[in-house]
Amino acid sequence: MTDGRQLDYELVETTLDNGLRVCVQPDAHAPAVAVNIWYEVGSFDEEPHRTGFAHLFEHLMFQGSANVASGEHMSLVEANGGSVNATTSTDRTNYFETVPRGALELALWLEADRMSSLAITDANFAAQREVVKEEKRQRYDNQPYGDLLELLVAQHFHAEHPYGHLPIGSMAHLDDATLDDVQQFFDDWYRPSNARLVLCGPVEPDEAFALAQKYLGAVPARDRPHHIAVDPPHLPARQTITYGAVPHPLVYLSWPTPPAAHDDHLALDVALSILADGNTSRLHKSVVRSRRLAAEVHAASLPHLRSTSITTLMARPSEGVSTHITADALVEELARFADDGPTPEELARAVAQYERDWLLQLSTVEGRADLINDAWLTYCTPTYVNRHAAELAALDIDAIRDAVRTHLLAEPSQLHYLPTEVQS
Amino acid sequence: MKRPTVSLSASWQFPEPQIFTLAGGMKVWAFDLPGQHIAALEVVLPTSLAAEPRSIEGVATVALHSADEGTVSNPDGRISELLELQGAALHGQASQHSTRLGGDAPAHRLPEVITLLTEVIREPAFAPADIEHHVEMQVAAFDSRVASPGWVAKQALRQVLFGDEAREGRPGAGTPETLQHIGRDDVLAWHAAHWSGGDATLVLAGDFMDVNLASALAPMESWSGTTVASGVTVAEPRAAQLVLVDMPDAVQATIHAGSLTVGRRHPDWAALKLAGHAMCGAFASRLNLELREQQGYTYGVGGGFTARQDDGQFFVGGSFRVEVAADALRRLLAGLELAEPFTTAEIEDAKRYLVGVAPLANETASDIARQAAVLAAVGEHPAFVNEHFAALEIPTASQVSEAFQRHIQRDSVSVAISGPASTLVPALQAAGLDPVVVS
Repeated sequence: MTDGRQLDYELVETTLDNGLRVCVQPDAHAPAVAVNIWYEVGSFDEEPHRTGFAHLFEHLMFQGSANVASGEHMSLVEANGGSVNATTSTDRTNYFETVPRGALELALWLEADRMSSLAITDANFAAQREVVKEEKRQRYDNQPYGDLLELLVAQHFHAEHPYGHLPIGSMAHLDDATLDDVQQFFDDWYRPSNARLVLCGPVEPDEAFALAQKYLGAVPARDRPHHIAVDPPHLPARQTITYGAVPHPLVYLSWPTPPAAHDDHLALDVALSILADGNTSRLHKSVVRSRRLAAEVHAASLPHLRSTSITTLMARPSEGVSTHITADALVEELARFADDGPTPEELARAVAQYERDWLLQLSTVEGRADLINDAWLTYCTPTYVNRHAAELAALDIDAIRDAVRTHLLAEPSQLHYLPTEVQS
Repeated sequence: MKRPTVSLSASWQFPEPQIFTLAGGMKVWAFDLPGQHIAALEVVLPTSLAAEPRSIEGVATVALHSADEGTVSNPDGRISELLELQGAALHGQASQHSTRLGGDAPAHRLPEVITLLTEVIREPAFAPADIEHHVEMQVAAFDSRVASPGWVAKQALRQVLFGDEAREGRPGAGTPETLQHIGRDDVLAWHAAHWSGGDATLVLAGDFMDVNLASALAPMESWSGTTVASGVTVAEPRAAQLVLVDMPDAVQATIHAGSLTVGRRHPDWAALKLAGHAMCGAFASRLNLELREQQGYTYGVGGGFTARQDDGQFFVGGSFRVEVAADALRRLLAGLELAEPFTTAEIEDAKRYLVGVAPLANETASDIARQAAVLAAVGEHPAFVNEHFAALEIPTASQVSEAFQRHIQRDSVSVAISGPASTLVPALQAAGLDPVVVS
């Protein structure tokens, strides 16, 4: 850390006899305890004719189990002053509740009940399928640029590649799904050996392990499921021009970058911050302020655990400037950056910003528990959360420049998203 | 295995700040929060958007967003770079009754950050190119909002509740029509008239172990001046309406319903907060259970009562596929009639949630600063939070039901919908609802 403090969270791990991995991060001063379970299953693991299933399943996990009625999981946590939710990505499905210390056992019991048994009926299965369709409409179909992410992913993966579809998946596939498919998915993936439990808050490791054993230790052991191995997609850079009812033309440049755990990602993230984060960034100064070829520039990454990730630079061209001119300017400035590298001050600013964001994410038990699980899945050890700040502080100018040279100098794919009315 | 019992411990208290006034008149609320190494700051200006000249609405927003582009001492973006070097990030919002400029930064860097923040507040350069850039950004943001069905429904409801002639009925950050007229002189004039230290409150929260607050605040000491209050008036009640903004390509009907209500100092306020949670705030709320979990009509229904400057607002909304939207709205409005009063179980759950979740909602310095800034902006004391939590414990289920029925009547609830009129209008009419279509 730039202020000399070292992060040193106490992290204690164990594995229950049934294969469930448990990590406790005791924090006596925290206002509540975060219960955070990551099942190592996401849209990557779906059958090609069953896309969207991991996410649908996330909804079904709230529809009842042997001793818990449909919807009762959420209402019980809320009625005890807790917060609860779940999300699905390409590589994992996380379930989390943050509860007062006095409700920790209830939370573990709820998680154990649905890890052991599902009690989905035809009626609530049908209702949740409709809820998921509404989620897709609300988040994607009814939003300007709603298909942007799908178009971007399609530039880097064939449709049949495990990363070639979004977690929201195909609604037709969901319509075809049966309750038998649901049970099969549960049997295949929702096993103690395929889950990691992080507890963060006012609980000592010994007591936490005893509680985990008491409630979750009774779930029957099953072999740890395997994920398929995939080769990098190796698609050539391509240009896509698409039209839609959108307010502005946008251009996205994107590159295939290594899997999430690769050493270069931290340097790449800091490079993207120097290039495109805020009005002090390189590209804002050069392409927006000085050359006036864009009104705004941003960067983003889409990390993948088991294959190529995607790194993007996005710009909204200035009025009257074509997306092609703006894209060329981004490429030119990137080449310049790859030659010169950042100035020492640019690096110091980006590191200070990254560090504050990182500490803010760690400042709640809910956020911290999720980052610990993320580190555990990505780097195979929860202790990575204690190393991250030191690795950040160790970055130098050469590391930033080399990361850009290695990963962002190849010809990017280009996605030009244009308002329908400019179509000629 | 048997379901474990829950034992909830003693209630939590919102922290008490040290409160003092600087020489120039600015009030300071300082929350010393041991262990919170990322501190939060919020400068609260009690500035009403109603004071914006109508032809240049949005000027408060443009002034706020341009302020850290450059200062007299550190022009051309240098001030932002210096803030970044300290690990600070600024944010701000010009809302209807206050303007807030805040930030997060490592607590031990507060002296340097406050010095730089003072520069942003007191001597922004407002270079012409920066004003032009931020006007363009606000125009683009407006164009993005009007393409978003959620914003369209939200704005339509504001228009219905307040009317076109009230500042609150019009978009807070202006429209392309008003934004295009904003020049540097307008921004300078707005800043000179409305960024006044004598009216402002600075909320600081974080671990002050390594900070001498008195000397850290020295740069702010002399910031003074007061603005003539523009006089906030409580909105006159308007007749309820049902409007539909035609978005022919929309694949959902986005429904926003609501009405103006009493505010946080009304004796019924705690009961209304409980009612709002049980009706549409919780996952297990009546309307979410019916419209999402049972019918599968929506990804979710949300809402509740929100306090405003002097009054309050009830809101409930969600997005529904077009073919079920009329039935969804019919069910939603029927639910608001509260034919079945709230049960004791519903209200006890609401109490345990609203009180119990408070420590989580106030876990970080930034949570505390944000909550305090909301209170400072409306002239409340920070102790309001604890008074409110105590008040939540009191009402019975029947008192909550009675309060809800007193303040929310089916006929006083306005509804704004964004979606395709060609299919929605006949369906709504068939359900006995007759919308006014606007474009």
